[in-house]
Order: sequence, then structure tokens, then C-alpha cells
Amino acid sequence: MKLDQFLAMDVGSDDDGFLDLRALEYISDYDDHLMCPICHCPFIRPVRLECDHVFCQTCLNSAIRSFATGRDGFTCPTCRTPTRDVYLNVPRLLTNMCDEIPVRCPFSNEGCKEIIPRGHIQSHADKYCGYKLMDCPSASCDQRTRKKDLSPEDKCMHELHKCLRCDEDIMEQDYEEHVQELCPSLKTTCPDCQVTVFRKALREHIEACPEAIHPCAASKYGCPIKMKRAALGTHEQSCPLITIGPYFEAQNSRLDSMELTVRHLQQRNEIFEDGLASIRSTLVESSRAFSAHHNNTATNNTNDTPDAPSASNSRSNPRSSSTTTDDSAAPLSNATTYLLSLHESLREEVAQLSHAITDLDARASMAIMNECLRLKEDMAHTNAAVNSVRMQVQWLMNPRLHQGQRAAAAGASTGGQNSGDGRAGSSAAGLLRSRRLSDTGREGTKL
Amino acid sequence: MGSQKRIAKELTELTESPPEGISVELANESNLYEWKVLMDGPEGSPFHKGKFQLKLVLPTEYPFKPPTVSFVTKIYHPNVTNDDKGSMCLGMLKADEWKPSSRLGAVLQFARSLLEEPMPDDAVEARIAEQYRDDRKRYEEIAREWTRKYAAGS
Repeated sequence: MKLDQFLAMDVGSDDDGFLDLRALEYISDYDDHLMCPICHCPFIRPVRLECDHVFCQTCLNSAIRSFATGRDGFTCPTCRTPTRDVYLNVPRLLTNMCDEIPVRCPFSNEGCKEIIPRGHIQSHADKYCGYKLMDCPSASCDQRTRKKDLSPEDKCMHELHKCLRCDEDIMEQDYEEHVQELCPSLKTTCPDCQVTVFRKALREHIEACPEAIHPCAASKYGCPIKMKRAALGTHEQSCPLITIGPYFEAQNSRLDSMELTVRHLQQRNEIFEDGLASIRSTLVESSRAFSAHHNNTATNNTNDTPDAPSASNSRSNPRSSSTTTDDSAAPLSNATTYLLSLHESLREEVAQLSHAITDLDARASMAIMNECLRLKEDMAHTNAAVNSVRMQVQWLMNPRLHQGQRAAAAGASTGGQNSGDGRAGSSAAGLLRSRRLSDTGREGTKL
Repeated sequence: MGSQKRIAKELTELTESPPEGISVELANESNLYEWKVLMDGPEGSPFHKGKFQLKLVLPTEYPFKPPTVSFVTKIYHPNVTNDDKGSMCLGMLKADEWKPSSRLGAVLQFARSLLEEPMPDDAVEARIAEQYRDDRKRYEEIAREWTRKYAAGS
């Protein structure tokens, strides 16, 4: 049969009446050879390809439909042999083996306990299973009823009735079961003390029942004793494990806290180890960068005068950095450490620079001080010389001054009559000159 | 939906009898198509003692289309992309090599064996593959460190 004809066949598994055999619960492990490689279920209506690989009809159908390169290029889903034909006949043996696998009845949730070979499950569900859900015979009710609960007179079994004992609303179909087994108002006997109690109170009763067997309170520390609650009290007073109990508790809590601290410490240790590893790698990187850098500065320093080491440093720096960047065409992850090392070396350079600057500063100020002192000395010398010159001038001037004063006094007595004359006598001219001389002399004293 | 039944079946199989070093659960209980896989690094590989989380995503066309496997935990491996996707390159998961009859258990076991023995010729991380070929010692060192750093488990 060609693939197209195969696709045109009615798949038919979605019909309502048929059970979905893939959804069944398979009780036992079935042989892997009976399993369809596509759906991993025992074959359901198996078909065969040219290469003798077998698949469920529906699985092969969807495999062909979802095949990427179209129907013509279809290959076997198992061995990828190109295939154009499908054969519907598979060995009867295979179908029989698949149909023999036991499955649980699909209505097991409703209470059916049957386990049936798969080949018969369809007829079981259709005809025999009493737990199959049927539509309610009443037209107004849309609920479903188990087949066995259907009333012979086609009555709706979904009406609610109130339970006379427990005030619960129960559907008619469940009423009998409720009254006989489930109703919480039913009485029951305690398995230990034989007292009759309400079913709903049984749990509370067992908690408090004096006859119930309980283990010793120290059972978790190894006390093997189990006895009735009434007798347990006397035992617990003498049980050595109970008295030692608080000690165990304390030890346990200590152990817990220790474990916590150990975990904390482990975490911290891990963090430290990581940090150490990163520091180590940074160190390796930076030492590599430094060795390159130092070579450069060494060659530069020999060329430069020792007076300007800072200048040579600053000039060598960009050169060295450029060479190292060429070297580090290496991995990106090293970039950070490389940058860090570069940063370190730059910082060192800056420190050197500032050092040199302070050095220069100190030297300059010393030189200025020296110069100042020398100048001061010189000025003191000059001052002294000027002073001595002034003294000498004064000394020279003094006799002239006295002579002039005397001459002026004589001149005033003779020239008093002809002071109105336009022409000044030779004595008057001498007076004027002497005044001027005395003026300069006075100025000299001022100095 | 035939695919759901098969997936559920394979999931039960893998949770009931998991292959060595692999455990499987749903990433989200309501979604069958995304699995969370925990894989122990195989002994004898640099990933030993690491716990790796993987994501297995199944297409709705499964089993006719291949699933995708990706590492959630960072891993240093030539066949796993070194990004936040962590996609894994498995030959059998390529669309034209996938067979509907392959089982997910086999896929995961194959992924685990790849941890033990990478396939540098089929690599997605060329640099790691090169290192794996040329400087095996360094590769194992880094892989071990990454395992310690990212896959230490808790």
C-alpha cells in the first residue's frame, strides 16, 4: 500500500466508543520488543514498513504527517531506510502477544478491580464492567452513574438525601454505602481497650486511650520499652534514658550549632581561597609587566643625566605600556589583571615623581637661602662703607661750615647798608655759596 | 496528544529507575515539556564531584522532533556554549539525525558520557576544543576550577 493510501485510511482511534489503549495502566512490564518505538506502548493495530520495522498505525500516520521533507523522502523512524510502501499484515504472533498483556480496567477509579488481557478490555468495558459511567436516565440530570447503580425503573439517582444521623447531604446512589460504612456517626470499638466510641472520635480516643500501647518517651535514644499508657508513667520515672534525655538534647543542639559554624567557616574558606587564587594570578601578571617595564627604564636612565630621573621615568612610561599592550593580545580574562598591574606601576611612577619634585623643591629653597645670606652680607658691607664715607665727609665739612658761618656774620654787618644794591658784592656771592655747601652738609648728616 | 503519553511514560521510567548519576524531574509540575535534570560529573573527568543542572526542552511534536539539552550550570566544555544559554551540541539531537525511536534516557546518558570524553571535532567552543587538544593539563585545571566554582552543589 502506498503512503498516500495509508494516510487516507481512517485512523479511528478517536471514536468515542473505543477505549484509548495507550492510556491504560499496564500491570506487568512488557517486553521492549512489543513496544512501538514512537509511543512506547505495546503495538496497537501494528503496521509494517519495507524494512520490517513495525509501528502502531496511528503513530506511523503522525510520523509521516510530521516528516519534514514531505512524503516522498519519508524514511523509517527507526533505521532511516527510505520507504514508499506500508504493509498492513504483520505476524499474527505479534498482535496476539500484544493483546495478551494484562491491563487494569479503565474504571478502576470507580471501583472496578478487574485485570484483563488487553485484547478483551474493550468488550469488558462495553458489556461487563459494572463501574462504567453511564449517562443518567433522567433527561434533566447531566450527571453520570455507574452502570451497576442504575435503577431498574430508570430513576435519577442523583437526588440529595439528608443522612438522618450525621446531617450530611448524600446522593441516593451513595446512600446505602454511606449508612453502612462511611457515616461518621457510626460506632466502633477501640482496638486496645474495647470501649465503643463514635467513629469520628476514634482518633482522639486512641490518643488518650489508657490501654493503648505506646513507646517510652526516650525511645528515640534507644529505650526499647513499649507498654500501656497507664503503666508507662511508672516506667518513665525510672527510665535512665529519660533522665539523661536533656543532656542528649543539649548535645544535639551543640552539634547542630557546630555544624552550622563549620559550614560557615567552609564558605569563608572557599571565599578566601578564591581571593588567594585571584591575587596570585594578579601577582604573576604584574611581575611580568614589571620586568618589561624595568628593562625600559634601565636603558633610558643610562642615556639621561642623573639630575632628571623623574623626567626620564615619565617619558619611559608610555613606551613601556605600549610594548606591554602589544604583548597582551592574549586572553580577555587577563585584561583586568593586566590593567591592575599597569595601574600599580603607574602609581609607583607617580610616587617617584612626587619624590623627585619635593627633592628639587628642597634644593631650590636651599640655594635661595644661600644667595640671600650672601646678599645680606654684601649689603651690610656696603652700608658700613657708606657710613664711613659719610663720617669722613662730615669731618671734612665741619671746618668749612664753621668758616662759612663766621664769614656770614661778618658779611651781615658790612653789607647791611648796600643790601638794596642790584649787584651783589663778592662777599655776598661767597655767602650764597657757603649756604649751599652747608645745605649739602646737612643732607649728609641726614643720611 | 500522543506525545504527552510517551513523555509521561519516559519520565516515569527515568524517575523509577534513573541511569547512573542522573536524576530527572519536571521543572514545573504542570508542564511535561520542560525537564530539570541533575547530573553528577562522571568519575575520572575534571567534572567529578560537580553537580550540574541541565534543562531538557521537548518540542510539542516530540518524538518526531528532537529535544534540546542545555546546561543551566556553567561548565567549561568544548561542546557546551559558554554563554548564559549553555546549549549543548549533541550529534543525535540534530534535526536530520534524530530518530523518533531514540529514548530520552539514552540522550541523557550520551550527554553524560560527553562530559567524560568531549568531542573536540564537534565543538561549539573552538577555543576550549583547541586547548583540549593541545594543552590537556590546562583544560582539566580550568574545568576543575569551574566545577568547584559553579557546580559545587549544596
